Formats: sequence, C-alpha cells, structure tokens
Amino acid sequence: MTSLTDRYLAATLRSVPTGRREEIATELRASIADMVDGRTAEGVDPATAERAVLTELGNPAQLAARYTDRRLQLIGPEYYLAWQRLLIVLLSTIPAIVGVLMGVLQATVADNAAGAIGEGIVTAFNVAVQIAFWVTLVFAVMERLGTPLNLPEWTVDQLPEHPTERDVTLTDVCASIVFLGLFIAFLPWQHVQSVVGPDGDRLPILDPALWTFWLPLLLVVLLASIVMEIAKYRARRWTWPLVAVNAVLSLAFAVPTIWLLLNDRLLNPEFVARFAWLRDGGLDTVARISVVVIVAITLWDIAESVVKARRSAR
Amino acid sequence: MVSDDVLRTHLQELRRGTVVVASLVALRRPDYGYALLQRLTGHGFPVDANTLYPLLRRLEEQGLLTSEWNTEESRPRKFYRTSESGEQVLRRLLDDLAAVQTSLTTLIEGAPR
Repeated sequence: MTSLTDRYLAATLRSVPTGRREEIATELRASIADMVDGRTAEGVDPATAERAVLTELGNPAQLAARYTDRRLQLIGPEYYLAWQRLLIVLLSTIPAIVGVLMGVLQATVADNAAGAIGEGIVTAFNVAVQIAFWVTLVFAVMERLGTPLNLPEWTVDQLPEHPTERDVTLTDVCASIVFLGLFIAFLPWQHVQSVVGPDGDRLPILDPALWTFWLPLLLVVLLASIVMEIAKYRARRWTWPLVAVNAVLSLAFAVPTIWLLLNDRLLNPEFVARFAWLRDGGLDTVARISVVVIVAITLWDIAESVVKARRSAR
Repeated sequence: MVSDDVLRTHLQELRRGTVVVASLVALRRPDYGYALLQRLTGHGFPVDANTLYPLLRRLEEQGLLTSEWNTEESRPRKFYRTSESGEQVLRRLLDDLAAVQTSLTTLIEGAPR
C-alpha cells in the first residue's frame, strides 16, 4: 500500500550504516505514518498526504546525512585554506616547468616545432589536472577521516611587511617567463633545426642575414623582458619606472619586427620560395596579420601596465 | 529596510540552539517524534521534521536522551525522555539563556537610545 514510503525509506537507509538501519527504519516509518495520519485527519486524501509528507522530509540523501552526522561538503572550512594554498603553489610552478622540459626534450629529439610545443602544452595540462585531482582527493579523504592538519597556528608575525596588495601574481610572472623563454629558444632553434620539404632538408625560417644585427637585438630585448618580469614580481606591483621600461622593451621588440615584416626582410627568401602559397601573395597576408597581432598585443600590454600602475598608485 | 533574506537568516541563527533546549524541556515528559514535533510547534518552536528526527537520535547518542520502544499501540513508537545527564546539561543551557537575557536587558537599559 505504501510503496512510495517504502521507496523513500530504502533511498534514505542506503547510506546509513547497517548496524543502525533497522532501528532508524522502524522509527522513521512510524514517524511518516504519524505525519500522514495528521494530514488525513484534516481531510486530505491519503495518497496526497503521503506525497506531501515525503516532500516535506526532503531529499533522502540529505536526511541520511543528518542521521549519520555526515558533512555535505568536499572540503570544509578547516581544510579549505591549506588546500587552496597548496594547490596554487603547485599549479603555478610544476605544470609550466614540466611542460617546458617536455617541449624542449621533444624539440631536440624530433624535428617538429609545432609538435614539440603542442606536446609541451598537453603535458603541462595533464600535469595540472593530475595535481588538482590528487591534492583534492587527499584533502577530501582527510576531511572524511577528520585527520588533524597540525599546521602551526597563525601569528601576527606572519603579516606582510608592507600591506600592499600583490598586483603581480607568481602565476602571471611564471607564465610570462615561460613564454619569453620559449620565444628565445625558438630563434636559434628555427635556424638549425627546422625541417622544410618532404626530403627533410633544413632551412631557417627567418632570414639568416638578420643574425648580423636584428636577431641578436631581439634576443637581448627578450632577455631584458625576463629581467623586467622578475623585477616586477619583486616590486609586487606595477610602478611608473616599470611601466616605462616595459613600454620601451615592447616597442624595441615590436617596431623592428613590424619594419622587417613590412619590408619582406623577416622570412628567409629560400624558405618563402619553397611554398607556393607564400610566393603567390601569401607572404603579404602573413605579414599583415602578424603586424596587426603584434600591434594589438603591444598596445594591450602597455595599456594594461598603465592601468595597473594607476590603480596601485592610488 | 533590510531584505527578508537577511532577516530570515538571522532569525534562523538565533533559533538554532533553542530547539535543543526546547526538546530537552519537553521530553521531561516522554514522547515520540511526531508528537514532540506537534508540541514544540504548538508552543511556538516551529521545527522541520527532517531536522528534529535526526536531532533526537544525536541527543540520544550523546546520552542526553534515553529511549524506549512502545509496542502496545497500533504502530511501534520510540519514546524519548530527558536523561539525568540531559537534565544537567539542560540546567546549564537554561542558566546561560537567562544570562543572555539579563545581559541584553542591562545592555538595552544602559545604552542611550
């Protein structure tokens, strides 16, 4: 007769320890029957009353959690901050390092630039997912077992010296340095390692004549940019001198590159000659798109630094 | 004017602990879950069934309530009663509630309006 109640009891008791199941079942069944009786006495028909009572008792899983005093959270307030801090520290360093190492390794073993970069990105992503999963799993288990963390108590001495917000996060700086490092590695790599054509002969992508002046200049600018990223991290936020240095470095990279692109001097003529679509007007398209992208990135970079410097100056 | 949500949250917070006190008082006279629910509601302690039933079990496990099955009526019912240690805890709780009321009164009288 009370199949709905039976189903509700079964759903509730499924996650209650076996030892207490029988007793809770008997008591809860009687309570439900009492509640139904209470409603039918007011003139409600039994089927409607049963539905209303079970609806009032709510989700069986939640009721079972209340009976067993189980916490309905993956990681509670006791562990959350430790979990968050550990995850940020690990995610901001390890995936990038492993990804770069993997990319460099691939680039030296196999002669495939895009493949190596792709391999590095995929590896970094997989490492990040693995870290996030295992750290969260360990904390979730500790939450269930109630393992004490035994972390040192917070003291006033831990307060930062200067109560400034850190506008420049470690993650941003690491990402920038990794990107700059890959770029620096790309310049010599494309000269000696890149492979063109089906017969596997090596052709530099960029014009080798540029090595007399322009490419060393770009390398110096990129290295200076890494130094600036570190200085920025140490300063904790954008300052006006940093904004100026950043603008100079951005322009020192963008202006020569754009000038070389527009004068068809950036790419190796032999490399261009090898591809029909580059010869037949494709080169202009590539140059135009590249110029637009470089201008956009440079302007964005400078504007962002100015905005952040103004915000932290306030 | 504060929103209804804010008011409701604060009222809930204020009421939360009083359900335990009210149950321990009410169960000086043994009763089963649903009847207790009715009595509490009748005396101005509206409490959800899915809160009260698990709460009774928890108080029993803490030794503040004792229970006894009554199988004489049409359906078997578990009757709870405030235990000796439950009575001790209740006295402390009531003292504290009175102390809170006293403190509030002096604070209200002492504070300029």
